[in-house]
Amino acid sequence: MEPKVIAKTDITQWLKSLADRFEIIAPVREDGVTLFRHVEDFADIDLATTPATGTLREHFTPKTETLLEYEFSDSGAEVRSVDPGAKEMLIFGARACDAAALRYVDAVYSMVEPRDEPYFIRRENTAIVGVFCNEPAWSCFCTEVGDFLSSPIEMDLYLTDIGDKFFTEVFTVKGEELVSHPQFQQATEEDGQAADTVRQKALSRLPSHVDHASACLSYDWEHPLWKKLAQKCLGCGVCAFSCPTCHCFDIQECPKVLRGSRYRCWDTCQFEQFTLMGAGHNPRSSKKERTRQRVFHKFKYSMERYNMLGCVGCGRCVALCPVNMDIRQVIRELESKKG
Amino acid sequence: MEKALRQKARELLESGSVRLVIGYEQGSVPFKCTPLFAETPEEAERLIWNPTCVNNLAVYLPQVISQGKVAIVVKPCDVKSVVELIKEHKVNREDVVTIVVPCPGVLNLDGLNGLDLRDVKSVQWGGEGIIVECSSGAVELARERSFLSKCLSCTIGKAPLADIEIGESPIRNPLTDKHTCVAEYEKLSPAERRMFWARQFAKCVRCYACRQACPGCYCNECFVDKKGQMWLLRATDPASNWFFHTSRMMHIAGRCVGCGECERACPMGIPLTLLGTKLDKEVEEMFGGRAGESPDAPPILGCFEPTDPDPCPE
Repeated sequence: MEPKVIAKTDITQWLKSLADRFEIIAPVREDGVTLFRHVEDFADIDLATTPATGTLREHFTPKTETLLEYEFSDSGAEVRSVDPGAKEMLIFGARACDAAALRYVDAVYSMVEPRDEPYFIRRENTAIVGVFCNEPAWSCFCTEVGDFLSSPIEMDLYLTDIGDKFFTEVFTVKGEELVSHPQFQQATEEDGQAADTVRQKALSRLPSHVDHASACLSYDWEHPLWKKLAQKCLGCGVCAFSCPTCHCFDIQECPKVLRGSRYRCWDTCQFEQFTLMGAGHNPRSSKKERTRQRVFHKFKYSMERYNMLGCVGCGRCVALCPVNMDIRQVIRELESKKG
Repeated sequence: MEKALRQKARELLESGSVRLVIGYEQGSVPFKCTPLFAETPEEAERLIWNPTCVNNLAVYLPQVISQGKVAIVVKPCDVKSVVELIKEHKVNREDVVTIVVPCPGVLNLDGLNGLDLRDVKSVQWGGEGIIVECSSGAVELARERSFLSKCLSCTIGKAPLADIEIGESPIRNPLTDKHTCVAEYEKLSPAERRMFWARQFAKCVRCYACRQACPGCYCNECFVDKKGQMWLLRATDPASNWFFHTSRMMHIAGRCVGCGECERACPMGIPLTLLGTKLDKEVEEMFGGRAGESPDAPPILGCFEPTDPDPCPE
């Protein structure tokens, strides 16, 4: 479909018209952080923060999700599965990195049968309206790990701010439905040129592509860097829980006396208990093994398993790590010393 | 200043009087530092001291101290954490050498909002606060904008436990009172306070950055991670999140030195120092002491006097 344009002042009206069908999720600024939230007042949407502090993860795999409930009675035990809900979501204001991360998580959650049903139910019921990053943050490095900022993936629409309107590219049938609305007009040649100018400007501020993909496969298991990183790593889960491709969860019980539930909640390889086994052995017993795991999983194992990097360069871990563990620097150092 | 710091660190390592110097080095960007663990005199040459040195490095002491004597670069406020660790027998006095640096106040990153951070070349003290050198020229930021709020209320004079002092501590000229933020909070009714914290704790992802960044949270096994005894769910339901934060805070009541590392580490912007400051105020009013001030005073909540107040309603 030919690109469209929509006036910025019409965005609210457009989203309102979609709110009957979709639950609208968009970045909202609150107490100094920007999180993807269900929005009712579209004036609250924050498109200035690039990227949002929080990822889309919560909306596809909630922080805590009940999987089944059980109850004991005189006649036996009853187990009920929990409906993950089939509401339609529209995510407005996702960045190219946020959307690209979904392709990676899709691969993880469908690698073995059965695929992760609650995730895919939500995923397939979601429309994604991406927004180009006119002002990439200091921590952004998506261009180092892919070209999805210019050629987005996993989006239905891609909006580029060209002043008083958004230049809108349509990628899918779902996207075509979304723009079949009076607020959208055919984009002119000038609009297309304006979008190109904006994009070139943003791209010029970002690092250029580096071939991390092939470089990482030969990384050194006993590189002295691992010890150095482990010394300063606090062992928290900020990097993992702010990462759009991190997807690990723990399954736990919530037992009451005669009933209870089983739920899953976010977990991370950065926690000591993540690999602690029942008999007491822990194959990743120190922070050295755990920091190495994080880097290798993103840049080595992911390439081997899915032929994709496990990092989309959103820079959230870079910006949020309390001790400035900067994955860009880690990768550079590993690459400079390899074989 | 940095020269003197590096010189001292070098001497300590060369003479073998310490095996490690923990300090700050240049981070991956000019407006961030990163912790440095210098084991050789050459590594000590990387030490820096500028407004980006925000971390409270005392958090690392319990894990490194068992392997031999350690020197640590501390701001006068961070010394309080070292005092607490010694009082609580996590660190032996003779195993730690404190290198106290003179601190006019450290950088609040939010103060750089509006500047093009890719363009920042350096962050230094100067003028009334901080001078940010950008490729387009220097920008001077006032204290109110560029310092952490704990720095704006800082009244610390001579630091206790200073083994080595670099330079002279600047004269304090606080702009606010330590408990100012609590005054607003105390105007809220109990129901409003509950609503406020319910909203804040709902954001918590339980990454435990607050706990990991806290020099007072050094338990080998946190109550959260107890195996076999389920004190709380790992679920991020309102009750569990509430229980985690309030319990952690109660565990550091009378021990919290207000360094604010919990709040700085929190990726969700939960105002944890407000809780800590409120507790600090209550402890001070009830028991007349402040954490980290005197190495000789007994732990505030670790001792009992028959005259201690008991304000619980009948």
